[in-house]
Amino acid sequence: MIFVEGLRKEFGRVTAVHDLSFSVGDGEIFGLLGPNGAGKTTTVRMLAGLIAPSAGGATVNGHSLGEGSARIRALTGILTESPGLHDKLTARQNLAFYGRLYGLRGAQLRRAVDRYLGVVEMLPFADRRVAGFSKGMRQKIAIARALLHEPEVIYLDEPTSGLDPAAAKTVRDFVDTLRSLGRSIVICTHNLDEAERLCDRIGIMQGRLLRVDTPAALRRRGRAATVRVELNGARGPESFVEVLVALPSVLGAQAHEGSLLVELTDPSRETPDLVAALVRAGGRITSVREEAATLEEVYLHLVGEVGERDAPSSTVRETSVQEVAS
Amino acid sequence: MRLGYVWAVFVKEWRDLLSNRLLLGAVALPALIFASIPTGLVAFIQVNDLDPNQLGQIEQYIANFPGLPAKLAAQGFIVTNFMAYFLLIPAMVPMAIASQSVIGEKVARSLEPQLATPLEVPELLAGKTISAALPAIVATWGVFVAYGLVNGAIADQRLTVLIFSDQWLVAMVSLVPLICLFSVLLGIIVSSRVNDARTAQQIGGFVVIPIIAIAVAQFFGGQATFTMQQVLIGNLLVAALIGLALIVGSWAFDRETIITRLA
Repeated sequence: MIFVEGLRKEFGRVTAVHDLSFSVGDGEIFGLLGPNGAGKTTTVRMLAGLIAPSAGGATVNGHSLGEGSARIRALTGILTESPGLHDKLTARQNLAFYGRLYGLRGAQLRRAVDRYLGVVEMLPFADRRVAGFSKGMRQKIAIARALLHEPEVIYLDEPTSGLDPAAAKTVRDFVDTLRSLGRSIVICTHNLDEAERLCDRIGIMQGRLLRVDTPAALRRRGRAATVRVELNGARGPESFVEVLVALPSVLGAQAHEGSLLVELTDPSRETPDLVAALVRAGGRITSVREEAATLEEVYLHLVGEVGERDAPSSTVRETSVQEVAS
Repeated sequence: MRLGYVWAVFVKEWRDLLSNRLLLGAVALPALIFASIPTGLVAFIQVNDLDPNQLGQIEQYIANFPGLPAKLAAQGFIVTNFMAYFLLIPAMVPMAIASQSVIGEKVARSLEPQLATPLEVPELLAGKTISAALPAIVATWGVFVAYGLVNGAIADQRLTVLIFSDQWLVAMVSLVPLICLFSVLLGIIVSSRVNDARTAQQIGGFVVIPIIAIAVAQFFGGQATFTMQQVLIGNLLVAALIGLALIVGSWAFDRETIITRLA
């Protein structure tokens, strides 16, 4: 469990992270989305006990940043931006080295190394030097390194970067398994599709946290969800509006271009009732789908809004933040 | 400081070093050169049965060893005078290894994952220091022992006694490790500021200048080798420099600086 309250990081006169507050529950995947220099990596570094915040604080599984940072590092697994492997060592030696740093010894260490080499499908290459590995193979070893000591909290910076689609799916499936094991997971990514598929909640940030919500709620941009119902038959859609507005879950309904547009609070829960009511009223439904913006549109909208607002100074600030923080 | 963590870093560094043949060559070559030049001269004098009076300033040399025949005194002067250069091995080799290690990690961006573990910075530095210093210490001691035995065998056992003198035994046990430690710290400090191992070694290379200056001054001053007093003063001087380097090093190599500037 991660609680973040007013977290701030300044590098000299540059503020890389502004007053961040959010929480990540056990068994939750929290995505941090933002452009380069948005402060994602700096945030993760603070939460992993690598660098000290300038103000604010956080607790990770009950340990506070600062005095509890050593304990936090022990219970945290981190996939850094760059794999950062030791080229002259084999994959097995790399993992064994990090296993020792996480306190694993003897048979326990050997089992963990073999297990995670297997998880990332790298056992056949275990005794080869990392120097000859492709970008994707390095990324797999770095993922194995982050998970080797069965951490309770996991930070993954671009976990599927450099991986082919099949390997990326393996990693996503494994992250999903970690969620089911109750781990708290923070993923930094530019990959909106991946964020939407994996994350329970997403925080869009650019120096500060612009919005935090579930992917579905973000796509609705804070408004009620709109469901479009396509009908087939002699009766026009306007003849069903009265039936629908009588339903307690429907916030509004209207006929639009031969379809029905229905506003709901929670489409995943309320759509079956809506469909049942329409069928009872004699409607012949051909399709039902939620009308929502894509996550990409929401992201670009939010980030663009900040970009426009900060236009005169944004270029200078972003460059400085990247230089110092990334 | 937890020894298990220091050991883990040491083993990793050692494996890295053993796979770097060029760097291993850099460890062995200076040691062999510094030992073979005076040994060659001793052998040359011995084989050719040279008249010691043909050697310049011979009276001055012989004065250092009043009990020895002239020829052996000349050989004694050569073997003991060159021993100052043995101090170049602990000055040069650990710096080359340490700067290669730190800059290699900077280039590979492998410092951040290490510091994200429970490993503490002093443990990381201790592991790196031991792994960089040990080859130089072993090389110096190995060459020192071989140097004493080989020269004794070539010329006379009294040369072995001259080489294994009290002051040089003390220098090997105390001054050599101290110089190694200072050299590693200097390598780490310089490496934290530059991104190229050659640049780091060139900047750090200035550390050899005082040692060469001492060796040259000793030769032209007609002094065969260090006195015990000079060795002890050398120990104090290098220990003071280590204290200074530790202060600068702890500032240059704290966790946050490494993460935000080096890693």
